[in-house]
Amino acid sequence: MKDDQTLGERLRESGISRRGFLKFCATTASMMALPPSMVPAIAAALETARRPSVIWLSFQECTGCTESLTRSHAPTVEGLIFDHISLDYHHTLQAASGEAAEEARRIAMEENHGNYLLIVDGSIPQKDGGVYSTIAGITNLAMLEEVAEGAAAIVAIGTCAAYGGLPHANPNPTGAASVSDIISGKPILNVSGCPPIPTVITGVLAHYLTFGTLPELDHLGRPKAFFGNSIHDRCYRRPFYERGQFAETFDDEGARKGWCLFKLGCKGPTTYNACATEKWNQHTSFPIQAGHGCIGCSEPDFWDRGGFYDALSVPTDDAGNILLGAAVAGAAAGAAVGLMNRKKQNTDTRAHEKVTVDDLNGD
Amino acid sequence: MSSASIEKGIRMIREQIDAPIASFFSSCVHCGMCADACHFYVQTGDPRYTPINKVEPMRRIWEQEYTLWGRIKATLGLSRKVNAQDFEAWEELVYDGCSLCGRCSLVCPVGNDISDMIRKIREGFAVAGHAPEGLVGATRRAVEIGSPMGVRLSALEAQIRHLKHDTGLDAPLDQAGADYLVLLSSMEIMNFPEYLEAIARIMQQAGKTWTISSRAFEATNSGVQIGVSDIAAELVQRVVDAAEELGVKTVISPECGHAYTAIRFEGPNLIGRPYNFRVQHILEVLEEFRQQGLLKTKGKETDRMTFHDPCQLVRKGGVIEAPRNLLGMVTDSFVEMRDHAEMNWCCGGGGGVSANERADELKSKAFNQKKSQLDELGVDTLVTACANCRITLEEGLERNDMDIPVIGLTEMLADHLVEEPGKGGET
Repeated sequence: MKDDQTLGERLRESGISRRGFLKFCATTASMMALPPSMVPAIAAALETARRPSVIWLSFQECTGCTESLTRSHAPTVEGLIFDHISLDYHHTLQAASGEAAEEARRIAMEENHGNYLLIVDGSIPQKDGGVYSTIAGITNLAMLEEVAEGAAAIVAIGTCAAYGGLPHANPNPTGAASVSDIISGKPILNVSGCPPIPTVITGVLAHYLTFGTLPELDHLGRPKAFFGNSIHDRCYRRPFYERGQFAETFDDEGARKGWCLFKLGCKGPTTYNACATEKWNQHTSFPIQAGHGCIGCSEPDFWDRGGFYDALSVPTDDAGNILLGAAVAGAAAGAAVGLMNRKKQNTDTRAHEKVTVDDLNGD
Repeated sequence: MSSASIEKGIRMIREQIDAPIASFFSSCVHCGMCADACHFYVQTGDPRYTPINKVEPMRRIWEQEYTLWGRIKATLGLSRKVNAQDFEAWEELVYDGCSLCGRCSLVCPVGNDISDMIRKIREGFAVAGHAPEGLVGATRRAVEIGSPMGVRLSALEAQIRHLKHDTGLDAPLDQAGADYLVLLSSMEIMNFPEYLEAIARIMQQAGKTWTISSRAFEATNSGVQIGVSDIAAELVQRVVDAAEELGVKTVISPECGHAYTAIRFEGPNLIGRPYNFRVQHILEVLEEFRQQGLLKTKGKETDRMTFHDPCQLVRKGGVIEAPRNLLGMVTDSFVEMRDHAEMNWCCGGGGGVSANERADELKSKAFNQKKSQLDELGVDTLVTACANCRITLEEGLERNDMDIPVIGLTEMLADHLVEEPGKGGET
């Protein structure tokens, strides 16, 4: 791999046509709700971009995030964009180990001080001095603080790094915390999800390569372009919800007919992510399409929000859960408006007079 | 009920706006991908033909009637109510500029079924008196005579007599208990009687019994094309009644695109109950025969040929492998078009466009998309499985001085059947 190649050259070498590449740029612009006029800008920036240094730290995690991001079955533009960053340190993927690996990290930090992108997956244990997870004898806590100091920006990949995730679940024996609990004064972007969608991370990287900045974030530090809509808002089963058609069990008629899974505990209404539009496994499907409700894995504390199979209308959380309350109230208000609209529509349907051929000619 | 009016049109459009339609409108991200998927837009470059724009009056009614923001805008006079001028201006986009091919629905990144939206807005335009004359006439003939082309039973009986005379084969009328009820399109009775002969020969070889109903032989459904569900339901009901009275197991939709979706997918919804028989396209039947070893052919075509996928068949019905497997039996020189199968481009004449004489010029412009696909390939023969595609393609090729014969797949297959002695078919 020649380090001085531009992305344009590398893509061409890998057999990706310019047309395919522009298509990727247009999709990225569209996904991130950028104006179409940005497509050439993205293309120009990506074509000429040199490989930025990226240090990837994996802490208290299950490697699912890395698996998700590297699991593409065929070489894709997304995959190649991912290749295009200079991944100078990544426990799971790098060939070096032991002292050589740590040396690579130190060199990358020195050479690119102030300019490298830090990607973190996994939460950081803080209890008892952070002894619950160490790498090369260094606690995750110390390593994060050391590497974050010289980073241009930090991307927290996965719900663990973003909000603590599974290790943070009650009773949180290791005192697990998120990146933003520990680091301040650096731009931090959360790509939550357990695991997150691969396209989202490549979208964020494309944005960073193009503009040199992180995209616009929501109140939980997630890129709005991907986390702006709830799963429910974009769900293909939404029409059944509007009609009040719900599956009551996983093997009843409703389930077989693909009705809404709200009553089976689907957390789609309170979960913000792009699963319903981006989908998984090369845009093939997502949990709801496979017949299981959303478990809300891109939201903080999703493990502690009651049973995955308890419907949202049965409050399971503490009374202070404003988001859930608001969502339920919103759903109720939405249902009321829906009823009004349906009534109006039904009036028209009832007023329907049978149309015959004689009705087709104008006055 | 009196004649058509704008008020009726608006009321009808409101009636059509159900939850899916509402979610389609609220999901549209204005990406414009549907434009590039539409042969009418691509060939004219006129942005009015952007598929989602064709349902703009419906979107405005949805916004003003069913959304809070739209109601506020309407109250403050910020948006104009849909009026007669809008119907006037959109009629051409809704009917002439859309063949309901569904390519836009397929590419829409948020999954909006735009072609179904256009199918639905037509309901409003039809009762507003804004359906094209050609389609109104075809619909009238379909309801009153039983065929959009005005083909009567006597014409079919004449073709059956020709069949008997030429081949010794029969096309049995009204035979109760037959395996298959065969439907025909008027186009096949009048322009392509080879289809009837092909069916007779194939059924004989496969050892299946079949019949045609004298009460409901017509497969096409003008009600679906013009967008009047009440009429569409009446036409479907005729077939259903005939099939149930004759007690057939399977109804075969002929080499026609919309006839297949009308009877296969829209039908049960239109009449409000499931059928107690199966509906298959003729290609699905032939593929089943092939798999069961009931089709025996000999010899291969030597011409370089390609297959034009009828839109309704591939995009709505997913019948993609069947024609390719069947072609494999009779040719080794088959080549695929660019953008074939579910991404194939429409011939330009579907969705009632070919019954609408006014749309002729636009139709032939849209055909240029097909022409460019064919120019790239340089084939000797074009095979398809829809009589309407076939006639549109023949017209387009003729207009462009392209010497490429168009053949129906069923007919081509029948030409290669191994005739068994003593079982009829002696010539």
